Amino acid sequence: MQSLPLTEPVLLILLSLAGQPRHGYSILKDVEEMSDGRVVLSTGTLYGALRRLLDDGWIERFEEQESSRGRQAYRLTAGGRRSLQTEVSRMKRLTHLASLRVARKEA
Amino acid sequence: MMSLYQWLLWLYPAFHRREYGEEMTAVFCEARSEIEKKGAGTRAWFWLREIRGLLHGALAEHVRSLVGSHPWVLLPTRRFTMHSEFRFPKATPILMALILAGTVLAIEKAQAISASLPHINPPIGPIQPERLTFLPPVLLMFAVAYAAGLIGWMILFALKRSGVHRLSEMQDSAGR
Repeated sequence: MQSLPLTEPVLLILLSLAGQPRHGYSILKDVEEMSDGRVVLSTGTLYGALRRLLDDGWIERFEEQESSRGRQAYRLTAGGRRSLQTEVSRMKRLTHLASLRVARKEA
Repeated sequence: MMSLYQWLLWLYPAFHRREYGEEMTAVFCEARSEIEKKGAGTRAWFWLREIRGLLHGALAEHVRSLVGSHPWVLLPTRRFTMHSEFRFPKATPILMALILAGTVLAIEKAQAISASLPHINPPIGPIQPERLTFLPPVLLMFAVAYAAGLIGWMILFALKRSGVHRLSEMQDSAGR
């Protein structure tokens, strides 16, 4: 099972798949775009993370129907989506607390 | 340069290569075709990132194939994450105390019997060292038992039925 909190690359991969199923290269580009070029994954890092997420049942792999090449694509499972929501809620609580503390200090 | 990438892919375990090798190569080709339009510095950085990612990924996959997906369950520092069935049973200290009390009583009784029958147990002279003929078979027996245990564990590990896997499955089902 993926340990929480998630690392930034894993979180970005999951966020990339939250919107729609994607194939490997599309995930790479989306992660780079979401992080404004700060997180650029190599293929080794990407497939290591995908393999772990597959093993833990957070994502699933399937053959893309639209593609003539029969490319493999990835999508979130129901369990993966629930876990991602849990992580996002945790981060929301944390940022809310942080903003409260920072505002109190400034006042 | 493509051959370097494919050579580095050979560092991965065979399963990973079969399952993801072709896909990784295809993704790499797409990424490379885009990066080739950019400057030499960007290209060099791209190659460094890819080589580092492959080396790190191959090492991680080999570690995973040796110790499973969750190597931390082997570490005693994570004992607090263990399932309750694997913890030290509460009855064990009571059982150990009973065994200790029984042993002490038996020693006391034996000493009392020995003191009441001095003619049966004459004083023993200095103990002479004997040839340790029993030692090699005992060592061999331990070695055989250890080897058998190790082979058994390896079979269970290969079948994903070792304690590590069972614990992982139980934790997963408890997590769900």
